[in-house]
Amino acid sequence: MIAVERLRKRFGRQLALDDVSFAVPKGEIFGFVGPNGAGKTTTIRILATLAPTDSGMATIGGIPVGDDPSAVRELVGYMPDFFGVYDRLTAVEYLEFYAACHGVARSRRRRVALELLELVDLGDRREAQVDTLSRGMKQRLCLARALVHDPRVLLLDEPASGLDPRARVEMRELVRELRRMGKTILVSSHILPELEELCTWVGFIDRGRMVAVGPMEQVRDRVVAGRRLRIELVQPEETAMRSAEQVLAERPGVLAVDLLGDHIEITVGEGVEEAELLAHLVREGVPVRSFAPVAGDLSEAFMRLTGPGEERSAR
Amino acid sequence: MAVLSGFDNPLIVKDGISRMRSWRAPLAITLYLGLLGAFGYAIFTIAVLSTQFTHSASSAQIGGSVFVSLAFFQLALISLFAPALAAGAISGERERQTFDVLLVSRVSAFGIVWGKLVASLAYLVLLILTALPLFAAVFLFGGIDFEQFVLAHVLTIMTALSVGAVSLFWSALFRRSLPATVTSYATTFFLVVGTFVAGLLLTYIYAFRDGVAGASNFEFHPLAYGNPLFAMYVVLASPSGAPVHLGRLLQLLFMSGGEPSRWGPELEPWKLCIGFEMALTVLAIFGSVLLVRGRRAMPLRRARPAVAEAAP
Repeated sequence: MIAVERLRKRFGRQLALDDVSFAVPKGEIFGFVGPNGAGKTTTIRILATLAPTDSGMATIGGIPVGDDPSAVRELVGYMPDFFGVYDRLTAVEYLEFYAACHGVARSRRRRVALELLELVDLGDRREAQVDTLSRGMKQRLCLARALVHDPRVLLLDEPASGLDPRARVEMRELVRELRRMGKTILVSSHILPELEELCTWVGFIDRGRMVAVGPMEQVRDRVVAGRRLRIELVQPEETAMRSAEQVLAERPGVLAVDLLGDHIEITVGEGVEEAELLAHLVREGVPVRSFAPVAGDLSEAFMRLTGPGEERSAR
Repeated sequence: MAVLSGFDNPLIVKDGISRMRSWRAPLAITLYLGLLGAFGYAIFTIAVLSTQFTHSASSAQIGGSVFVSLAFFQLALISLFAPALAAGAISGERERQTFDVLLVSRVSAFGIVWGKLVASLAYLVLLILTALPLFAAVFLFGGIDFEQFVLAHVLTIMTALSVGAVSLFWSALFRRSLPATVTSYATTFFLVVGTFVAGLLLTYIYAFRDGVAGASNFEFHPLAYGNPLFAMYVVLASPSGAPVHLGRLLQLLFMSGGEPSRWGPELEPWKLCIGFEMALTVLAIFGSVLLVRGRRAMPLRRARPAVAEAAP
């Protein structure tokens, strides 16, 4: 549904995007992850038809963003990383205004506005002036604003930024609900545990380059879990643990061995086959009860992929 | 999208609602009418008192002098209000961080500029309309033709439109409302006062240089013809006064010598002023549309084959 191919964008001397490529299948929630200044907002602005590219190609629903921006705007609902609201308009008037801006027929505007207010759980605040709403409510209202023309694609730039935990949960549920409604959603955020729960696809960007992209589990496992293994012994006694530690430490490719109470966690380098390592342990008489990769963690993947000097690609 | 570009423009409705719900709206109307009323009453009192010395003043003379004073004062007030209303119209959207969201909607760049201009102008027209009873009361004294009454208001509205359009251009150019407002006031001062003073000065300089000062073939400098104060002065003195052929005006503008040209229609200052203000308005709107359009990603490249949709 969203396809970005070799996108380049330069601001003066600074290269903001350097051959950025990724694709978001229809109906998926794509988490766009990267440190500040990595190029997330620039990419989203290009997709929202707000910024031109220097080279490369971005399409939404098969329509090139740079060639037919009007058609793309029909498909896209955009929620920027800041929420500007108008003073002295009620919530329902606010949505009616944007419905009018998106060409919704006059006879349908009020109904659309009221339905969206219900969707974002602001039905009881429809006559409240927008500037009197809490931050979380304003964020939800802004999400409703992005939906007034029933777009197929949503571009959400840091939608949970600055929200309290309750408001974040509400926002997360709302995004899930939108996915159930068939929307394809690209969401950027710094709150990684939430992205991990929410997103089905993920893309990491660092200093203008995509460093990993794909289905969430695949990327996470590729980046984190494939390098960390958890080993439990039949009887986790000190002697057995020490013996196992020694066997592991002597094995080529094992980078680190950590004794963590009742189990051992090891870090292995590239090219280490898990099956071979397990067979080696058994041969050496280590009483292994379980041997499994450590479940991946998006924050860890983020740190690994966006660390200083990192230029690896997990693609 | 023509429907969004006309008066059925959501920005006009939204700005109208926002503005009229503000405490500033009734305050500005009160202030405007209060100043106009106080000024009119002061002129009226002076005019009545002066009859003790002239012994010949009629109600028409009193009405005429009050109307003339009010018309100039209203023009000055509108020139002060217009930049305040229009200079923050687009830059204010940027400052509120609502501009990008507006740009990704279906409203065209022209729709945005037009909506903002009409919304600002609508409030100025409201101010002028609320002052109409005051002018109508003075009109009853006599001394002013209906034609002068209408032309004075047309000139005021056109000045509001042109000053508003120019201020909107600065609002589209600058990211912040403060520099947009300062530049708008400077431009308004130049258009309303600067061209008037410069036009009259140049008129007298050339008249003395050519030795025609005080003569019947005394001609004003072209700068004066584009000025609303000069046009208002001539309208209130005599609507058909000081006409000039278009050819002669161009001759004076480009300082070419020879016999006075009689080419083109003979135009009174109010017609030339309105023409100049309309041209300025069109240019300012055009410039603003280009600036707003520049904020969107333009389709500059030729279409290439779409990238195939990602596999699910």
